[in-house]
Amino acid sequence: MTPLLVGEIGLRELASNPWFWALVLGAIGLSWKMPRSSVAMRRLGAIVALAGVVVLAAALVVKEPISESYIQQGVFWFLAIVTIVAAGAAVTMRDAVYCAIWFALSLLGTGGLFLYQGAQFLGVATVVVYAGAIVVTFLFVVMLAQPEGHASYDRISWGWYVKPFATIAAGILLGAVVATVLAIEPDSAPLLATAEQLEVNVLKPAHVAGLGAEVFSRHLISVEIAGTLLMVALVGAIVMMSRTNQSVRSEERRDA
Amino acid sequence: MHELALLQNYLIVGGILFAIGLMGFLVRRNMIVMFLSAEMMLQGVSVSLVAWGRFHNDWGGQSLTLFIIAVAACEAGIALALILSLAYRSHKLDIAVWQDLREEDQPAFVDERVPEERGDEQLWPTLTPAGREPKHDWEAELHRGRV
Repeated sequence: MTPLLVGEIGLRELASNPWFWALVLGAIGLSWKMPRSSVAMRRLGAIVALAGVVVLAAALVVKEPISESYIQQGVFWFLAIVTIVAAGAAVTMRDAVYCAIWFALSLLGTGGLFLYQGAQFLGVATVVVYAGAIVVTFLFVVMLAQPEGHASYDRISWGWYVKPFATIAAGILLGAVVATVLAIEPDSAPLLATAEQLEVNVLKPAHVAGLGAEVFSRHLISVEIAGTLLMVALVGAIVMMSRTNQSVRSEERRDA
Repeated sequence: MHELALLQNYLIVGGILFAIGLMGFLVRRNMIVMFLSAEMMLQGVSVSLVAWGRFHNDWGGQSLTLFIIAVAACEAGIALALILSLAYRSHKLDIAVWQDLREEDQPAFVDERVPEERGDEQLWPTLTPAGREPKHDWEAELHRGRV
C-alpha cells in the first residue's frame, strides 16, 4: 500500500483511487439526501450515497483482508455496511420518528462491531443503555411532533450555504483520517500485539472480570467521578423541568 | 486475524460515523435529530477507541468507552430536559427559534419560504386490517365514560 499523503500525489493518481471516489460519492449523495424541497433530488442523493458505499466496500475488499476466512470477513462487511447506511439514513430522514428508528439500527450495528472486536461487555452495554435512550427519544418525538405533515424546519436546512460547507468540512476531516490510517506501514507499528498476548489479556475468556478489574483499580477515581456526574445530571434535569413547569404555568396565568 | 488491517478498517468505519454525525449536526434544524447526531459522533469515537485497545492489547480503550457511555447518558438526560423546556416555550422543535442567543455582531438568519408539501410526499406507516371489523354498538359507546 503506497502512502497517500497530500502533496505527494498528482491528480491522475487521485482519479484512480477508489477511496477518493467513495468519499466524493458518499459526501455528494449525503448532502443531496439532506432535507430539501425537491423529492427527486433526495432520491438521486440516496442512490449516489449507496453507490459510494458500494465503492467503499470494493476498496476495502481490494485492501489487505482482515482474515483468511470468508465468513469472518463477511460478518465484518455486514456489520459495517448496516452501521454506515443506517447512520446516513438517521441524519437525513425528514421525519424524526424514522430518524430515531434508523439510529437504533445503527447502534445495533455498532454493538455488533464491538462484539466482533471481543468487547463483549461494551457490545451488550451499548444496546441496553441506548435502547432505553431511544425509547425515551421516541416518546419525545411522539409527544412533541407536529400532528400533521412534516414540520417546515424538517424539510429545509439553514440557507443555501450550510449544506455544501458542512459537506466539505466533514469530507476533508474524513479524507485526512483515511489517508493517515492507510499510510500506516506494518513494520512501523511496533506495539502490535500477537495472538498469544491477546489471548491472556483483552481477549481472555473471563472478559468481564478483566474489564472490571481494570476499571475498578486503575480508574477507580474516574468511576467515582462518573457516578457523581450521573447524580448531578439527574438533579439538574429535574431542577430544569420543575423551573420550566413553573414559568410556563405563570405565563399561562398571565395570558388568561 | 490480521490485526493491522482490522485496526485500519475499524478506524475508517469510526471516522465515517463521526463525519456523518458532524454533517447531521450542522445541517439539521430539528433539536432531537441534532441530539441523535451528537450521539452518533460519540459512537464513532467509541468504535475507534475499542479498535485501538485491541491493537495495543490494553484495557484502556474499553474503559474509556465505558466512561463515554456514562457521559452520554448524562448528556441525554440534560439534553432531553433542555429540548423539552425549549419546546414548551416555542411549541416547535426548531433550533432557529432561539437564534436571539447568537453573538452581538452576527446577522440574523432569515428563514426562506418553504413550499407547501404535496399530499403524495407524505408517506406514513399504515396498518393492514386484520380480520373482520366487529359490529359497533354506537349507543353503548356514546355512554361509555372517558378513560
